[in-house]
Amino acid sequence: MLKIEHLSKNYGGFTALRDLSLEIPAGALHGFVGPNGAGKTTTMRILATLMKPTSGTAYVDGTDIIRDGQKTRKLIGYMPDFFGVYDNLKCWEYLDFYARCYRIGQAERKRMSRQLLELVQLEEKENEYVEALSRGMKQRLCLARSLIHDPKLLILDEPASGMDPRARAEMKSILRTLREMNKTVLISSHILPELAEMCDSLTILDHGELVFSGGVNELSDKMNGNAPLDIRLAEDGGEESVENAVRCLKELPAVTEILREEPYLLRVRLAEGADCPEVLRLLVTRGVPVCDFHRAPMNLEKVFMEVTQDA
Amino acid sequence: MLNPILAFSATRRMRSFKTMLIVIAYMAALLLISFAFLSPFLKEDIGLGSLTRSPLCYMALLAGQFVLIILIAPAMTAGAIAGERERQTLDLLLVTNTGSFRIVTGKIMESFAMLGLLIVCGLPVMSLCLLTGGVTVPQILLGELFLLAEAFACISVGVFCSSVCRSTVVSTIVSYVAILLFGLVTALPFLFGYPQHITDIVYDRAQYAALDAAGARQMISPLLYLNPGFGLISLVQGQTHAFSSLTENLGWGRLLCTWRMADRAGWNFIALVCVGCMLAVAAVLLVLAAVMIRRKKTAAKS
Repeated sequence: MLKIEHLSKNYGGFTALRDLSLEIPAGALHGFVGPNGAGKTTTMRILATLMKPTSGTAYVDGTDIIRDGQKTRKLIGYMPDFFGVYDNLKCWEYLDFYARCYRIGQAERKRMSRQLLELVQLEEKENEYVEALSRGMKQRLCLARSLIHDPKLLILDEPASGMDPRARAEMKSILRTLREMNKTVLISSHILPELAEMCDSLTILDHGELVFSGGVNELSDKMNGNAPLDIRLAEDGGEESVENAVRCLKELPAVTEILREEPYLLRVRLAEGADCPEVLRLLVTRGVPVCDFHRAPMNLEKVFMEVTQDA
Repeated sequence: MLNPILAFSATRRMRSFKTMLIVIAYMAALLLISFAFLSPFLKEDIGLGSLTRSPLCYMALLAGQFVLIILIAPAMTAGAIAGERERQTLDLLLVTNTGSFRIVTGKIMESFAMLGLLIVCGLPVMSLCLLTGGVTVPQILLGELFLLAEAFACISVGVFCSSVCRSTVVSTIVSYVAILLFGLVTALPFLFGYPQHITDIVYDRAQYAALDAAGARQMISPLLYLNPGFGLISLVQGQTHAFSSLTENLGWGRLLCTWRMADRAGWNFIALVCVGCMLAVAAVLLVLAAVMIRRKKTAAKS
């Protein structure tokens, strides 16, 4: 559905996006993660035809977004990370206005507006003025607006930002419904765990560069492979056993860092691809009283920090 | 299909209390002007001198509306595009299938409809001049058409400035300054003397009598055709010949030169060319505004 090829964007001497390439299949819910300034919004604005890239291009359902902006706009629904409100306008009029902008006929406009207000659970607010809605409601109305022309690809830039937990849960529920409707959704956030819960795949950007792209599980597996080792020593060995363990570990070239987390717990960081069993073998043969030896568990927040730090 | 921006903006504007106040204030200003000129007719002893007040009232109403349009149009249109930027709704419009040209035309048509409403509202007040004689219906209608052209030009300036400036306040100031500068620059020929051969023609009765309209039209500075104020004076002079006695005042120098050239060129012709110029300038600004919208986008956040 979406194919990005070597997309780059420079602002004068500053590179906001560097050689980004990725593919998202139809019907996928793809997360776009990165810290502030990573290039998420730039990418999304380019895809929404609001900005021209310095180089590279992207295809939405086979349509080149640079060459055929008009056709692309029919295929995409864009929801920015802000909500622009018009005063003196009712909810149904708001949707009707944007439907007119997409040149949708009157009968179809009415039908779509009603269906979408139902989808975003705002059917009771149909005749309320937009400025009177809560932030969460406005966000949902904005989502309904981006769906008014039945696009194939939805680009949602931090749709849950500034929402309370309840509003976030409602937004997630709507996104699940969209997946059931076979829409391809590209959604950005700077909170990895939030996206990991609902997305099939993820792209992590940092400083305008692609750091990771793939499935959520794939990311966890990859990061767990590089997780540090937690080695707990028997307390009855005393301080001597800890010193002995540290001495042994320092002999191994694969060991890059040794931290004493607790009196009898050492956290050891290994070089990428290092052999874990070899570490254990050495400690045991030297008589170090190891009573627990495992990879430290990595949660998604840590994964995110790890990945973006490395980049 | 009706331009969605026009339908939507008009709905919002008509719901605003401010709109009603503007219409009332506009009407009140015109009524005050007409009362100032036509009040002698309310008395029983009307002298012959009072009969000239009707064309004067017509002229004052035209001039009053001319000034009011210059004052209202920039304030009304300065937020057309800049306001969308401030509300962060411009991007939402640009990602739809409504092109930037359609957005600009929608905004211009909506503002034009509002100013058109004001001008049409002024018609009954203008019609008071008909009751007291000295002014005809076609004259009033032509005057209204001139004001509509002026409104269209002022709106285009406002929308163009709105597409260039980021904020409504800056856009409003720039619009007023642009209109003022345009008026001053196009009036510059009044300050500069004419070449000797033109002055000779004007002051020599025989040469002036031999001068035809086409020749006189070429001698008038092209800048003057662009000046809406000169256009308005030409329209009024063409309709009422109210300023004819001025041409006899030989002490007016370069002003007299222009006046006599214009007299020979044809006042109605000058007014018509002025309307054409205003519409042409408006069309150019409209296209430029559409281009500027796409170029001047909100800064990207990442």
